[in-house]
Amino acid sequence: MTTHAVATPADRPKGWSREAMSAPPGSGGQTGVARSAHLGDAALGWACRLSAAIVFLMLISLIAVLVHSAWPAIRQFGFGFLVSTEWRVNELERPMRDATGQVVLIDGEPVMETLAPAFGALPVIWGTAVSSVIALVIAVPISLSAAIFLVRVAPKLRIAGAASFLIEFLAAVPSLAFGIWALFVLAPLFQKYVGPFLQRVLEPIPGFRWMFYETVTVAGRNIERPIPLTGRDLFTGSLILAIMILPIITSVSRDVLKSVPRTQIEGTLALGATWWQSCVAMLRYGRSGLLGAIMLGLARAAGETMAVTMVIGNNSQISPSPFAPAQTMASVLANEFAEASEGLHRAALLYVALILLTMSLVFNVVARRLVVGGISPTGSH
Amino acid sequence: MKSGLIGAVASIAIGGFSVASYPGEIRLSGAGATFPAPLYTRWVSEYQRAHPSVKIDYRSIGSGGGVKALADKTVAFGATDAPLNEKEIAAMGGTDAVVQFPATLGAVVPAYNLPGVKEPLHFTGAVLVDIYLGRISSWDDAQLQKLNPDVKLPKTPITPAFRTDGSGTTHVFTSYLGTQSPVFKAEIGVGKQVKWPLGQGGKGNEGVAAVIQQTVGSIGYIEHNYAIANKISFGAVQNKVGKFVLANAESVSAAGDETSGELRGDILRADAWNAPGEKAYPISAFTYIVLYKHLENIKTQAEAEALLGYLRWTLGPGQKLSEAMYYSPLSEKVRSAALGALNSVTHDGKPVLVQP
Repeated sequence: MTTHAVATPADRPKGWSREAMSAPPGSGGQTGVARSAHLGDAALGWACRLSAAIVFLMLISLIAVLVHSAWPAIRQFGFGFLVSTEWRVNELERPMRDATGQVVLIDGEPVMETLAPAFGALPVIWGTAVSSVIALVIAVPISLSAAIFLVRVAPKLRIAGAASFLIEFLAAVPSLAFGIWALFVLAPLFQKYVGPFLQRVLEPIPGFRWMFYETVTVAGRNIERPIPLTGRDLFTGSLILAIMILPIITSVSRDVLKSVPRTQIEGTLALGATWWQSCVAMLRYGRSGLLGAIMLGLARAAGETMAVTMVIGNNSQISPSPFAPAQTMASVLANEFAEASEGLHRAALLYVALILLTMSLVFNVVARRLVVGGISPTGSH
Repeated sequence: MKSGLIGAVASIAIGGFSVASYPGEIRLSGAGATFPAPLYTRWVSEYQRAHPSVKIDYRSIGSGGGVKALADKTVAFGATDAPLNEKEIAAMGGTDAVVQFPATLGAVVPAYNLPGVKEPLHFTGAVLVDIYLGRISSWDDAQLQKLNPDVKLPKTPITPAFRTDGSGTTHVFTSYLGTQSPVFKAEIGVGKQVKWPLGQGGKGNEGVAAVIQQTVGSIGYIEHNYAIANKISFGAVQNKVGKFVLANAESVSAAGDETSGELRGDILRADAWNAPGEKAYPISAFTYIVLYKHLENIKTQAEAEALLGYLRWTLGPGQKLSEAMYYSPLSEKVRSAALGALNSVTHDGKPVLVQP
């Protein structure tokens, strides 16, 4: 993250292109070959600029289209959208209740209120955030260990190439395949063995009851009921996310660790560090790059759609229990977009998409900066 | 999800390769409801066998999509499970511009996964409401046990399953539950997509079917034909006169017949859920075809004639296919009301002659 490290890669292409573009073509005693080479350079330079501009314009227009289509929801709900838990597609007419849950009566008759459709994204933001964080907690230690293995152990065993290939291949598996696997293998396994086991062991321990019970509010009254342990819940969703972000975190971390100069590692060893201590030193040396790798994993976890939709249970509720069904921003889009014909409903979904895009953009930008800072050698080459 | 993708690819492929049409060939397209799609697809292929010059393309994009496509005039007819509402009728030019008629009947069944339970369980509307509101949370609940005295119900927690996408199935199921409980109507409401307070969501009938098949102790609402095709057990539901009735062609048709008195004018609608009558299955519903009354979206007289020819055929010989595909044929009363509505269709100001 040091400033000159960030500046280096940005400077290099700029210097290169300035050189190519600013030389006056055909000036002085140049040969024809040189002149056409200059023309070629100029053409390539402009083609590159144009392509870069197209990519940039695409992003801008994507944001513009999302803001435009989400505008009715943005205008109606504003930033309150981010903290509201209401997601009601239909109008509801129901008896008004006071703060204590009592129906408000006038002359013995309940006062009716009409609730217009309302949309709030907090449950799906919650689902996305919690599932991503759990996925990171599971995936990061495994990924870092795997990366250390690839850099420090695998070359000695002569399997570095094969192991790296396998991990990168894992990244190429379509997410739908992971989802189907989770649905048919992971979920039944959890329902049959893991869930009942956890409940038997944890529930009697004071302080763990909340994991296995949920409170449903019906007509102003709270009903506590056991959460059916089905294996289609926030936890399984997070588990499949962890598996899906493992390869990306591992392969980026591997590249970061590979770029740690040998002299650094040899230096620690020469000072009497154990193998383990030298690994820690290596991790510390590349920490901003590793942080970037983790952020890339987080960005992928937040945006992952189909696999999560298949196993997360698709119920937008904020429950403290990891065994309750949940919903993420990406999965609510996958579920509801096709049939969302009402204007405000569609706009609300696009508002969710806009939040998701903004979040991914921020993650990616931060990750890029960190990775760039992490790989760049700090004056050791 | 997968079939949707394949469908999309296939429709692009078909669209791409069959642009060339020979003179005299007529192409018509319809779009909408997914629930009757298996039947509609079968209708099209049967009709085309007898009428090779007419090519009909039905895309099941959802009820909302079908109504929108018709309003945009990109299809000849639309299909919807929920009858048109006032806003949708206005978008198409008002009550004088639209014709809507029932094409077939379907049923929504409470399907469940309880290994070891062989007999179809008995449900009442009130019990289904309590399950979906979380008031009944275990299969050995006293209320359920009382309805099924001969069955030993296990102490398994109940996982209610529901549709996450907007759908006619949810519309029918919530409409029925709304007639059973004012609390349900007030708290959850009635519509194509509602907010369920608990349970697991699945996308499409196949999504809910998957939740049920995978989760011991689950109960969900799916179309009758999906329950049959996936061999999922489903229960009998108590109807308005107190009889427990299983969904089948006869009981669903009976529900449609009992409510046929509501069919009026050229925008026909009748709510077949909670119908009176001994035989009527209570969670039944019509699914509708909608088209423009003056066919302003159709260019030639020949196309108009072909469209009407096809739609009349579905109400005639086509009805025989209903039962084979686990839908329920329309009764004679409903059929004649539907044909009456179709007769009002004109093109270029003239009634449309129908090809033999």
